[in-house]
Amino acid sequence: MASEAERRPLGVFECQLCGLTAPYSYVGQKPPNTQSVVLLEESYVMKDPFSPDRDRFLVLGAQCSVCGRLVCVGPECSLFYSKRFCLPCVRENLGAFPAEIRQDLEKRKAPPSMRSSGRACPGT
Amino acid sequence: MAAPRAREARGHRDHRRVPSEEEALEKWDWDRAETRRLFEDAFFRDEDYIRQGSEDCHKFWAFFERLQRFQSLQTSRKEEKDPRHPKHRIPALADLPHTYDPRYRINLSVLGPDMRDTGRGSRLPPKRVSEFRRALLHYLDFGQKQAFGRLAKLQRERAALPIAQYGDCILQTLKQHQVVVVAGDTGCGKSTQVPQYLLAAGFSHVACTQPRRIACISLAKRVGFESLSQYGSQVGYQIRFESTRSAATKIVFLTVGLLLRQIQREPSLPQYKVLIVDEVHERQLHSDFLLGVLQRLLPTRPDLKVVLMSATINIALFSSYFGNAPVVQVPGRLFPITVIYQPQEAEQTASKSEKLDPRPFLRVLEAIDNKYAAEERGDLLVFLSGMAEIGAVLEAAQTYASRTQRWVVLPLHSALSVADQDKVFDVAPPGVRKCILSTNIAETSVTIEGIRFVVDSGKVKEMSYDPQAKLQRLQEFWISQASAEQRKGRAGRTGPGVCYRLYAESDYDAFAPYPVPEIRRVALDALVLQMKSMSVGDPRTFPFIEPPPPASLETAIQYLRDQGALDASEALTPIGCLLAQLPVDVVIGKMLILGSMFSLAEPVLTIAAALSVQSPFTRSAQSSLECAAARRPLESDQGDPFTLFNVFNAWVQVKAERSRNSRKWCRRRGVEEHRLYEMANLRRQFKELLEDHGLLAGAQEATPGDSYSRLQQRLERRALHQLKRQHEEGAGRRRKVLRLQEEADDGSSDEDRAGPAARRADDSVDIQDVKFKLRHNLEQLQAAASSAQALTREQLLLLKLVLARGLYPQLAVPDPFNSGRKDSDQIFHTQAKQGAVLHPTSVFASSPEVLHTEEPPATGAGGSRDDKDKMSSKHQLLAFVSLLETNKLYLVNCVRVPALQSLLLFSRSLDTNGDCSRLVADGWLELQLVDSEGAVRLLGAALRLRARWESALDRQLSHQAWQQQRQRRQRLEEDEEEAAPISRTEVAALSRELLQFMATKVPCSLRRLTGLEAQNLYVGPQTVTATPSLPGLFGSSTLSPHPTKGGYSVTDFLTYNCLSSDTDLYSDCLRTFWTCPRCDLHLPLTPLERVAHESACAAGLDGGPGAEEAAPEQPQKPSALQRPYRCDACHRDFLFTPTEALRHRRQHM
Repeated sequence: MASEAERRPLGVFECQLCGLTAPYSYVGQKPPNTQSVVLLEESYVMKDPFSPDRDRFLVLGAQCSVCGRLVCVGPECSLFYSKRFCLPCVRENLGAFPAEIRQDLEKRKAPPSMRSSGRACPGT
Repeated sequence: MAAPRAREARGHRDHRRVPSEEEALEKWDWDRAETRRLFEDAFFRDEDYIRQGSEDCHKFWAFFERLQRFQSLQTSRKEEKDPRHPKHRIPALADLPHTYDPRYRINLSVLGPDMRDTGRGSRLPPKRVSEFRRALLHYLDFGQKQAFGRLAKLQRERAALPIAQYGDCILQTLKQHQVVVVAGDTGCGKSTQVPQYLLAAGFSHVACTQPRRIACISLAKRVGFESLSQYGSQVGYQIRFESTRSAATKIVFLTVGLLLRQIQREPSLPQYKVLIVDEVHERQLHSDFLLGVLQRLLPTRPDLKVVLMSATINIALFSSYFGNAPVVQVPGRLFPITVIYQPQEAEQTASKSEKLDPRPFLRVLEAIDNKYAAEERGDLLVFLSGMAEIGAVLEAAQTYASRTQRWVVLPLHSALSVADQDKVFDVAPPGVRKCILSTNIAETSVTIEGIRFVVDSGKVKEMSYDPQAKLQRLQEFWISQASAEQRKGRAGRTGPGVCYRLYAESDYDAFAPYPVPEIRRVALDALVLQMKSMSVGDPRTFPFIEPPPPASLETAIQYLRDQGALDASEALTPIGCLLAQLPVDVVIGKMLILGSMFSLAEPVLTIAAALSVQSPFTRSAQSSLECAAARRPLESDQGDPFTLFNVFNAWVQVKAERSRNSRKWCRRRGVEEHRLYEMANLRRQFKELLEDHGLLAGAQEATPGDSYSRLQQRLERRALHQLKRQHEEGAGRRRKVLRLQEEADDGSSDEDRAGPAARRADDSVDIQDVKFKLRHNLEQLQAAASSAQALTREQLLLLKLVLARGLYPQLAVPDPFNSGRKDSDQIFHTQAKQGAVLHPTSVFASSPEVLHTEEPPATGAGGSRDDKDKMSSKHQLLAFVSLLETNKLYLVNCVRVPALQSLLLFSRSLDTNGDCSRLVADGWLELQLVDSEGAVRLLGAALRLRARWESALDRQLSHQAWQQQRQRRQRLEEDEEEAAPISRTEVAALSRELLQFMATKVPCSLRRLTGLEAQNLYVGPQTVTATPSLPGLFGSSTLSPHPTKGGYSVTDFLTYNCLSSDTDLYSDCLRTFWTCPRCDLHLPLTPLERVAHESACAAGLDGGPGAEEAAPEQPQKPSALQRPYRCDACHRDFLFTPTEALRHRRQHM
């Protein structure tokens, strides 16, 4: 079936801030197998891994519209306000955002890094 | 407003809304089903993201209601206008909406009917549509956040595992070496993560072996989930009855046994590039063997990578076995654990009680209650040695729990149903702790979160194996230090913990460092058979990581020779080849082969399956009179396998009659339904194996004739598939909150245990039933079950014969004094062991009288015999499936068989005296017959039947082997001549005669020889060179003196006249007058001569009427019976068969 091919990952999405990785199967604004939902940004999308339904999708992340970094949609890394912004860019340009966003941001903390440090191998 | 056609369709609905839009808005009621349906029709169509009636749809409305409530609280929010900002210099920031609206925070949009312009939704008030759309957006956004949150949490948890830091290292090491040992303690994440690192690094064709089936399934699910291909097919598992493997599968979890079978088929294992062998430290038999096979395979497959995963136990052993393979050692993640030694005083030594004293365990419960506040969470895990011990503590702990209301007590062992096992994962209500009473299953295989306290009894019950007696013993042992540490570690997985050891520290110091590997504890028959079929050479020299005891190996080899699976040179026989491919006990495999020959495949399949699973009869039902009464109609006094046969068939009938609930049926009879499902699965597997090997004609799909019923069937299957899917979707089994046991005193009863499980399952579907119906052709099964009821008496007897031959030499003889003993004191003896008793589940335990010889002693010769050596034609033996020693020695799964006939037909060694009135079978059972003539006749008949049976079986097997070869080569023309299958008429004749033989009534006595008698049984080698005057006794075999026993070997099993006895010295020359019933020959003959004549005479008669007179003149084929004969009367030399010699002599009289 076509769905099998569509589901095959195109690559691995990696958030440039927190290091979260996940395979994505689509980039764009119209996720496959769904007609009624459109995305408002160019998004990296995977099939929702927690749903048996094959047309469920999960948006992983998108590019920050200021700096172009690829960031995940996690609240510690980015926010969406008519466009995607990574938190560092939001912080830098706080004044451009409405008060609600500014208040919201104060509650957030810095992203935990997922990158592993790695260990030395046994003598090889 | 509404389009005319829509108005026509929904005319009456529209009426209500006609008055005015405002009125409608005011009266608008989102809670009305009708209103909701209108929106659902418009937004939740089949092609939309959310579908009408789906779970998502319900969730949405629940969300909607909450949102409405939330927004009504916020309606007074002031519309604060942001002061106009100057345009931002960064373009992306320049055109941000300045009036904040939460909608701008959502990165998606929903197309609705208004945008689609289909007209369907245009009747809906636009204000309501936007209200709905807004809610829908928030709902979808919420769903996205939730799913992403789960994903991030998953990734964080993975990254936090101790092994995460070693992922790259493992991959790097594997690049440079063929074998890598990954050593890490429980909880470091090796089993779930290493496969994912390999996947992520681009490896495919990865196999990961597990010692247990259950781990294959749960790991495949977990790894699928974590690697985010939960519903994809990259990760699969393959176990005996199930496989989720597909072409897209990159990594498969499978049992060690299954991988070995794959190697058996394709020794170089071309389908894999990486092998992960998990839990090698457990030292299971198959796992040890696999390591040996791999060690040999690796040089020929340099591209194959192997990862051995082990707890940090004895790592050096594995590393050095694979040429000092590099070890990546990962620290476990354990919180500090306090160890408290609480040795038990020797309080129970006085009374030799069989039951475990639960008091030390209760004291720990009390201590925890006293020392720790109820609010501080943390559950207790108690390690006990076995089910009986769990039962004892369960009873006492439940009484304590019902008094204090602070504990929920749960048993955990492998004999529990899956649903009951699952309960240990549920959570206790606040202020209550779980107390899990477990066997060592919770030591490594099952991990329960939230354990803070561990009680270690220090004991384990393990099967040990006595190779001399071929006896399985379930014995209690002290555990090893490694096990003790493992048990302790279970307390420190989620926080600091406490481990109570119910033994002294000095005991601990005296424990063995590691558990005894399985290869040193169990019977090696199956292993040796598998080794032979994999052609790995002599098992004695196979480079095991640690070799098994030589005695065990020798016993296994001898056993396989006795069973006919190996020949004298220890090569596989045809039957052995077949047995090696059947994943069952040799005994059961033999039954399957024998059964298929006699067209009894269907019943034998059921019985073989029944004997290969644990007993379905629940323990507690043993004491319930109701259960016993309900079960009684299913019992067969022929033996336990027949009872199981009846139970299975009756169950299938219940399943087939849709109206009845099979689960209830089982519970009422004290039957664990799970075992019956296992039987059905196993039965199907056996059937496929027999079909694959040409022993059973492949069943034609029984498709009902008319298209209506075909359609019906298809629809039914579709409905079942749907049910199964639904179940699986909802199967993310939520942890439930356990309830305090209300009727705790009654807690140990099975009914009670089954209760919650049944309740839980009743509100959904019986998924086992659904799976069963999907997997099996119920009609076929039912047909088999119905035909089982229609089995004739003859077929049943034949079936019994097949079982008995399969089970031989596992025979027990009743003690001669049994008839005077109580039912429960019936004693039986096997060749190696005396004083075995019947397992309480056995049908004979409740009706032992069917085993007694009620007949009064036959009158006649033998006045000097002991009273106990009763002459009777009703002596019986018990053929048993296994011998189990716990506190007593038990015979498990028995069938009663007529003693004399069975021994004559099956014995590996039969020894006779001169007139064949005394027979000794296999050197331990003595039979005395009154009538030596009858004895000789019976012996002759047995010899002929055995020869025919053997040759029929040989032909059947060689035909099968030929067919297989043909399949393999796929070249019909050039093949050698086809081995003809045995004809039906031949089989029918053979079965008829076998039945006749079994039905003969010959009075005899049956006695187990004493040790001294057995030692002095034989006359020993004789110096007399004179062969008996009549060579060629018993058909065409030649007589030769037996080198050790004395007397003469007649066939490979029969030795004539080798028994030492005073009277026997003369018997062979005692001639009495005798008339041949066939040819009326009347002569004084010795028994030997008589039998020789009889068999020759019968053979002569087969040539046709009149052959008797014509025979001497006929140019005959040279017969092995013919011997040079010089007649003393006419002084001429002849080449005569014994009969011819007799005839010749008669001329001179």
